[in-house]
Amino acid sequence: MRGGLPNPITNELMTRIEKTAAIAGAAICAAAFLVSGAFAQGAAPAGNPEQGAQKVAMCQGCHGIPGWRTAYPEVYQVPKIAGQHPTYIVKALQEYKNGDRLHPSMRAIAASLSDADMANLAAYYAQVGLRVSP
Amino acid sequence: MKTRAGKLACLLACGVAAIASSALAADIEAGKKKVTEVCQACHGMDGNSQIPDNPKLAGQHTDYLAKALRDYKSGARKNPIMAGFAGTLTPQDIENLAAYYNAQPAVLQSRM
Repeated sequence: MRGGLPNPITNELMTRIEKTAAIAGAAICAAAFLVSGAFAQGAAPAGNPEQGAQKVAMCQGCHGIPGWRTAYPEVYQVPKIAGQHPTYIVKALQEYKNGDRLHPSMRAIAASLSDADMANLAAYYAQVGLRVSP
Repeated sequence: MKTRAGKLACLLACGVAAIASSALAADIEAGKKKVTEVCQACHGMDGNSQIPDNPKLAGQHTDYLAKALRDYKSGARKNPIMAGFAGTLTPQDIENLAAYYNAQPAVLQSRM
């Protein structure tokens, strides 16, 4: 009984379990594929530059003024970001949000941004860079 | 005697000043050599990285680039790849690299 599973009900049950497992496996693979596609290295985040423009007020006070310097905790010129890769901008914002980067103002600003906000701002700055590039 | 002592003091002061300024002054050619060895595979020789994950550096502010490298080296900015590279750089290397990439034709802009 135990080894061969001669009982037709048990066999049918096993087939069903196998089918369910196969479907579940395929679903997991598909989900993994979609997730890896969405977060694959180098995949540009799908941001909306028009929506990014709505949020840019909080950025341009420092990043929109040529030569503007930070005042605290160290004095240096704030980075130029117009024309930067959008993927990198999202990564930088996420690093400020999760504490991998420490600038206090940027940490506070990034903490207020959703993933969609970050993608939108990145798309905005990438596009601004293209527009003003020679 | 007084004038000789004065001359000697002046020479010493000049020497110290020269050493101090040479330690701080960036050497773009030395920076270029280092870029060839270390940075260009990911950031490009001209600093306009073709890889979306890696920032464009051409024309970026020198002081910001140097600060980023110092922060990677100290661990204040956490990135395992950059920590490995920045860890090998001396303060002089950092000044040289920052000056080199700043001098490359910029795509980046400070714009609203």
